[in-house]
Amino acid sequence: MKGVSGWSRQRHAIAYWMILPAVAAMLLVHYIPMLWGFYISMHDVNLFTMVDWINAPFIGFQNFIDGFNSATTTGARALKALWNITVYSVVAISAGYVIGLAVAILLNQDFWGRTLMRGLILLPYITPDCVAFNVWKFIFQSRIGLLNRYLVQWNLVSEPPIWLIGPPALWAVTIASIWKGWPFAALILLAALQKIPPELYEAARVDGATAWQQFTMITVPQLRIVSVMLILMSILWNFNAFNQFFIMLGRDPGIAAEVPSTLILREAFTNLKYGIGSALSIVLMLILLVITTVYLYALRGTAGAEEV
Amino acid sequence: MKRFALMIVGVVFLFGLLTSMTFGAPREITFWLMPNAPDDFHTVWLDAKVAEFQKETGITVHYEVIGWGDAWTRLVTAITGGEGADVVQVGTTWNPQFAAMKGLKKVNPSEFGGIDAFMPANYESTTYKGESYGVPWFAETRCLFYNKDHFAEVKLEPPTTYDELVAVGNRFARVRGKGTAIAVAGNQAWDLLHNWAILLWAWGGELTSSDLKKATFNSPEGIEAMNWYVDLVRNGLASKSCAEYNQPDADAAFINGNVSMAFMGPWNIANIEHDNPALNYGVVEPPCGPKARAAFSGGSNLAILASSRAEEDAKAWITFLLRKDNLVSYTSELTYMLPATVEAFDDPAFATEMYKPFKAALEYATAYPPLGVWGTMENDITVAFKAIFTDYVTGKLGADGVKKHLDDAAQRVDAALKTEK
Repeated sequence: MKGVSGWSRQRHAIAYWMILPAVAAMLLVHYIPMLWGFYISMHDVNLFTMVDWINAPFIGFQNFIDGFNSATTTGARALKALWNITVYSVVAISAGYVIGLAVAILLNQDFWGRTLMRGLILLPYITPDCVAFNVWKFIFQSRIGLLNRYLVQWNLVSEPPIWLIGPPALWAVTIASIWKGWPFAALILLAALQKIPPELYEAARVDGATAWQQFTMITVPQLRIVSVMLILMSILWNFNAFNQFFIMLGRDPGIAAEVPSTLILREAFTNLKYGIGSALSIVLMLILLVITTVYLYALRGTAGAEEV
Repeated sequence: MKRFALMIVGVVFLFGLLTSMTFGAPREITFWLMPNAPDDFHTVWLDAKVAEFQKETGITVHYEVIGWGDAWTRLVTAITGGEGADVVQVGTTWNPQFAAMKGLKKVNPSEFGGIDAFMPANYESTTYKGESYGVPWFAETRCLFYNKDHFAEVKLEPPTTYDELVAVGNRFARVRGKGTAIAVAGNQAWDLLHNWAILLWAWGGELTSSDLKKATFNSPEGIEAMNWYVDLVRNGLASKSCAEYNQPDADAAFINGNVSMAFMGPWNIANIEHDNPALNYGVVEPPCGPKARAAFSGGSNLAILASSRAEEDAKAWITFLLRKDNLVSYTSELTYMLPATVEAFDDPAFATEMYKPFKAALEYATAYPPLGVWGTMENDITVAFKAIFTDYVTGKLGADGVKKHLDDAAQRVDAALKTEK
């Protein structure tokens, strides 16, 4: 049995001291509020009990039942919100990834002005959410929006459609989010592309591989680890999407474009049903936890193979 | 002995330090208010008054103007978090709810001139379960603004009934184009209910039963009043785009001269003077409905957050704002609201033609019931209102669509009323 030397113990102690501030911050900012949220979700914390929330009546899982009972307005909305955010995330992540990859491959070529282009593509990503999504809201506005202006001008529609109400609203926000999100994918994928050894492509060319074969046999496998992390981060960000929905559609986007974050905001801070708001938040967190675990587990083999 | 002496010195030093910190601390309060007037006028007035107050009392006021759309969340967060502001402007309908949350300090009206010093409906809005939790600041009601040039063009008078409004609107739609008669708020409006409530009352309906135990807005009168509102869009009097408007969007359509009529509050007079002073407009009382002429009694109160540690200074600031010269100046020169104190209300500044329709409407204006769960109720009704608009826009609003949505909302409101304590 190998003993731990004094120096090693000292090094461990230094390491613990060094990570202590981060752990304390995580506890304060993440874990304690999470526990607090869990406590609230099991209690009837509402308008009348909020000030003395610690003594609010314990009601077990009633908030979870009420929050997801499809017979009630909130429950029906919660289930629809989960469906909407899934559709939104699948489309936004897929489109963002495909566009990002295409642009990254283009920017990985040698051409004049490449550095400038690499900077320019980041513009949507670095534009603050409130600015970008307010501009998109203006683009989609029915009466004065740019989109309808051109649709009418080119005689593509007789009456300006309404994009920000009903089912089109979800697609309007999705398009705006794709526009905002793809540069990040491009940036990450470009960095990964630059790390692929050129010798791999040279060897493939010598062996007579076509461009498509080089893409599928070299580029795609080499990007796998980065892609796994990129998609995982995108899932987490998109499932929690709030800014784009709140800015473009307001506090109540309507059932067709409702997402969990807007519903939670309204239940907790407009209807002052903190218990239901917390229950919805916890379910959303658990869903993300399950998705993350399953996703990482499913891809563990492939990612591990790449690492070896 | 030496140690004991050192300890005494230490305690005295600490006490001295603490007391000097307490007594020497500058007297400061934070004041949150809404954009009651265009920013460039509003902040100039506030800066001047803050300086005047500081000179008079030595108290510094830090103010922050918060949009109505965000104010609710900011105030709820401040109440639950126990931090934020000392004095806050609260909408008359919000006051009872924040009181129910134990978020506001109780107020003794006699410290501000007594109950009789205030307009009765405004004073009522500060109360919850018989106690007072705020001080009335100003009153407002919404009237019908009309474009005089547009009316002269079609040789018509402003409508006095809702039937006349439709007739006039049809004429505008024919002469000036579809959707140009009136602008109304739609799905992005947080205050959508105010637009429908006056119709509901004019049609003879009520929001709740008289004992406040049951929702009654889904009555035939309510359904008819809602259909009338949706018909404005359906029949081309208002643009279909109104479905995605908030109230300022609808106001802007009138102020820019794009539409001939709009239901707006007196604060829009300041917006017109700021944005389009050339607009030739008039204001009349809300039209008469099949049963009555109705108006919404709104406005704002000043309240002190329960978490405030400067209650006396906060009271001094409220007293300063309510002083007749300040209140008359703030309302008649800046916001065009009506003052909530009787003394200021009777000032000659409010005897002008411009104020006539607002003063007349306030005579019969109805306030929402002072319920703790009012916010939830308002939200439930607004959600139904928005769903109706959405269904109309997407072509899914069948013959009984309005009834279905109002019935759903009534169910939720009944559940909320049961929780009222």
